[in-house]
Amino acid sequence: MSRKADHFVLRVDPILCDGFGHCHELAPELVQVDEWGYPIIHEDPTPTSDVSLLKSARLAVRGCPRQALRIERTNGPA
Amino acid sequence: MTIDALPRVMSGASGRPLTLREHEVTFGTSTVGGALAGELEASGLMGRGGAGFATSKKVELLRHQRGHHKVVVVNAMEGEPVGHKDRSLLSSNPHLVLDGAQNVANLIGARRVAVCVSRKDSAIVNHVQRALHERERRGTGPEFILHTPPWRYVAGEESALVHWLNDNETMPQYRPQRPNVLHVGRAPALVVNAETCAHVGLINRFGALWFRELGTPASPGSTLVSVSGAVHRPTVLEVALGTPLRSILRAAGADPDPLALLTGGYGGAWISGEHLDVAYCNEDLRSLGATVGAGILVVIPRGACGLAETHRVVKWMANESSRQCGPCAFGLPALAEDLRTLLHDARDPHGVLVRLKERCEVIQGRGACRHPDGVVRLVDSALRVFHGHIDEHANGLPCPALTMARRWVAVPALEHESDLVWE
Amino acid sequence: MIALTSPYLWYTTRATGLVALILFTVVVALGAFVANRVGGTSVGRFELNELHRTVSMAAVAFLVLHILTTILDSYVPTGWFSAVIPMTSSYKRLDVAIGTVAFDLILAVWASSLMKARIANGSWRFIHWFGWLAVVAAIVHGFLIGTDARSGIGLAVVISCSVVVVATALWRYLWRPTRSLGRTALSPLARHQPREAPRRAPRDSNRVPR
Repeated sequence: MSRKADHFVLRVDPILCDGFGHCHELAPELVQVDEWGYPIIHEDPTPTSDVSLLKSARLAVRGCPRQALRIERTNGPA
Repeated sequence: MTIDALPRVMSGASGRPLTLREHEVTFGTSTVGGALAGELEASGLMGRGGAGFATSKKVELLRHQRGHHKVVVVNAMEGEPVGHKDRSLLSSNPHLVLDGAQNVANLIGARRVAVCVSRKDSAIVNHVQRALHERERRGTGPEFILHTPPWRYVAGEESALVHWLNDNETMPQYRPQRPNVLHVGRAPALVVNAETCAHVGLINRFGALWFRELGTPASPGSTLVSVSGAVHRPTVLEVALGTPLRSILRAAGADPDPLALLTGGYGGAWISGEHLDVAYCNEDLRSLGATVGAGILVVIPRGACGLAETHRVVKWMANESSRQCGPCAFGLPALAEDLRTLLHDARDPHGVLVRLKERCEVIQGRGACRHPDGVVRLVDSALRVFHGHIDEHANGLPCPALTMARRWVAVPALEHESDLVWE
Repeated sequence: MIALTSPYLWYTTRATGLVALILFTVVVALGAFVANRVGGTSVGRFELNELHRTVSMAAVAFLVLHILTTILDSYVPTGWFSAVIPMTSSYKRLDVAIGTVAFDLILAVWASSLMKARIANGSWRFIHWFGWLAVVAAIVHGFLIGTDARSGIGLAVVISCSVVVVATALWRYLWRPTRSLGRTALSPLARHQPREAPRRAPRDSNRVPR
């Protein structure tokens, strides 16, 4: 059975990231912040059918001042 | 030409490096020729730089890269301060390392080899320069260039080394895709540890079956171990993988009944002194949460304070962070501070312990390289192995080791104390 | 060229110029707020970022109007290419040129920001720094060129914009986050007290790190 890439996960480049925290404000369900302001991103893939979460993720990617975020298409949880 | 079971890469070691002719007399010049790729895969050689990837897999990956200007980078930086194996190897026989590098270059089709030795090891730089000069007169093979990057802990990390070659900055790179091929300029690069090159050089002469005569099926061959701490003097031994730790300590003249061993390096793990019958190989050490790593063993005797030793290492490692990623730049100093509080100033020790564990979980896996992960692994293992002693600290009992002047894990002096604004 | 002139064209030029100047000053201030991590409690940081982007669109719109009306007005002989090539206007050559330089820099900042997702972040940041130069050039241009910039509303605008820009620059530099202490108040883990990150130890390589 073939798996489609029908889930997504946010990926952050930790070197570009400078702890602005906009991603946490724009996608709080997907991104938490540690005590130093850096993002803790949920590793579990979210189904792309969850439109509001996908939209939040896209806003977070667009809103990052360092362009440190990417949306990665992936399969569902193994 | 056969050589005895051990030593292998350290054969012929004396007070000075072997010349090219002595090297050829010691090891012979017969090779497996074109069968090297197959022999390398059959040998199961794992990298000796610390990460432990199968060398043949790395070679295969680079073989399939397009590009005529591939480069092999020989990593002799020895980022671990308590490690001496690569330097010892280059002091006793640089030609074996260079042979192996040449073999790897031929396998992947590279025409350049960049040998990287840390700038501060001027003696080693001289040895390598002389060896390269001897080979130059022969005139065959790929072009060898010697580089001398400045020494930092992360300078031995392969992406940091390549970054230095490209941009003069020893800073690790973010590599989201694994496997990921590094590039020096536009040329695909294969970074290989100096000791790994030496083993390749021997496999090229004597083949995979010979290589597998020592070691275990999962961890074949011999390896170099730097033993320091409670020993007569820090020493580098060549041992067969799978040798019990007890035998290694005996051969090194170390304390036979230690409190604990630090394995792998500063980013490795502590194991308790009760486990001396465990075999020195990854598959057995893994059950104790440790790995062979960069071939390092630091022995600390009974009466030492594992917490104090860990604190010194973590403080130094925090300073060595390249500060590119927040969790490492902020998290490691925070871990050091928590350890210091546990040692000297515990008003709420159980709270500090909880915070320490939470911070370890939060920092884990969120840097671009494995530097913070190594420190977290070290701290986690310290909390496990020195569990009882930490409870004593937490309950306010005096620690006898704190008054001891002697510390067992050699930690370099912090270069720029003024930069430690968190102290 | 249409021989078009009218006092209304001239008023529009001056008015849109002043408004553009005010808006760009606001843009610079908002940009400094974003860079210095203002917000996170009552106003979201991302909101300041969005405001910065939106106001910059408005500012560019007024700037384009300002330039168009200048070019269309044949009372002052400035051609199309004086808008982007400095020192080509026959009317008040230097004063117009400074405005042209400001416009060129703003074009570069704007274009790079439109392509922000497609270019390297380091390159985008490098170009973005020129925003400061652009607003300074705009203020100087506004002061030199306006016949009414030496008195009344014109002068008031130029002076207040100068004050805001200088104050913003000082604040931006003095309160810059060193290796970012970027806590938002929404962080549930914010109970541990973080401190300033240690400064990076000087390296002995030839290149000075960022």
